Amino acid sequence: MRPLTEQETKILFEKLANYTTDLKPLIAPLSDAADADRYVFRLIKDRVYYVLLSIANLATSVARDNLASVGVCLGKFTKTLKFRLHITALPILAAHARYKIWIKPNGVMPFLYGSHISKAHVGRWTEDCPSNVGVIVYDMSDNPIGFGVSARSTAEARRLDPTGIVVFRQADCGEYLRDEDTLFAG
Amino acid sequence: MAPQKTRTIKNKHAANKSGTASSKSSKSGSSDGVSKPKKKPTSGPLGKQVKGRTMTDLLKKKKKKIYTEKELGIPQLNMITPVGVTKPKGKKKGKVFVDDKESMGTILAMVQAEKEGQIESKMIKARQMEEIREARRVEAEKKEADKKAKFDETKESLRRKRKRSKASGDDDKGDISEAVSAGTNAKAKKKRVAFA
Repeated sequence: MRPLTEQETKILFEKLANYTTDLKPLIAPLSDAADADRYVFRLIKDRVYYVLLSIANLATSVARDNLASVGVCLGKFTKTLKFRLHITALPILAAHARYKIWIKPNGVMPFLYGSHISKAHVGRWTEDCPSNVGVIVYDMSDNPIGFGVSARSTAEARRLDPTGIVVFRQADCGEYLRDEDTLFAG
Repeated sequence: MAPQKTRTIKNKHAANKSGTASSKSSKSGSSDGVSKPKKKPTSGPLGKQVKGRTMTDLLKKKKKKIYTEKELGIPQLNMITPVGVTKPKGKKKGKVFVDDKESMGTILAMVQAEKEGQIESKMIKARQMEEIREARRVEAEKKEADKKAKFDETKESLRRKRKRSKASGDDDKGDISEAVSAGTNAKAKKKRVAFA
């Protein structure tokens, strides 16, 4: 387990900034005290974990082979040093979402089974959303169920036929079942 | 090297010994053997040449700086050194981690500003494109409306013409009936002619 390097931190933040408006609360200290606890990013093998500093320090006493996971797994670095967000990062992304899309009840199950979002399933959408930016997907009762990348801008999507794809799926809550084995630790 | 040899040969004993020798130095030694200034002119053009050479050589020697191997910076073994092997001085070995609040904050601010700018420009671009599209659509609609209006106008004018002709008399009708009858007659005639 080790902290991230400068390059890795930059790549991670760039990815997170696609989905969130403000990243500062992510790394802000929990209180005003000088030695206040804060969240940090830790790398175990190729996965990045978002964890409290105190817990990360405690975790150093666990042998490398025995340490499966600590904190929240945000995603993993690929061999080409790109960062891939996992569904486990959803609560962090949803807290400061930049663009949101709400899907109708008839579109929830297809999305949770891994399909992209078609226009027919869209209930509401954040106005002024450009294409190719991160979007957090909610059901109509405001529960985050995944995230994706907008295929078209809001204006373009209005003219689209109902079967046209508006959001490309990146991760959905169905992965908790589908990728149970590899989701938290490789 | 040459001047040294001459000097050694200047020695008296050496001159005596090498009296029969055929070298230039021996010649010069045998000619005077007493003083230097005398010796030089007697040596003639050859001696002068030698002296010139010696001077230039001496000057060259003085200018020439002898470099040590370290100064030249030549690798000890004449082979390529891999990147990992050379260690930069005064630098931390291995990766540099970012774990303190400040550096993380600066990276975050930088990334966020960059992303914000990107998205903003994307939105502006999308809005502009949308405006252009809207303008085009309006123009196309206008053109369509104009076309339709023109078509309607021609239709209306034709109708008016017909009405006028109706009002004026049965000329048109007569014409039409004539034409029709002529057409049928012509056809019939043609047939007859064809089969006859």
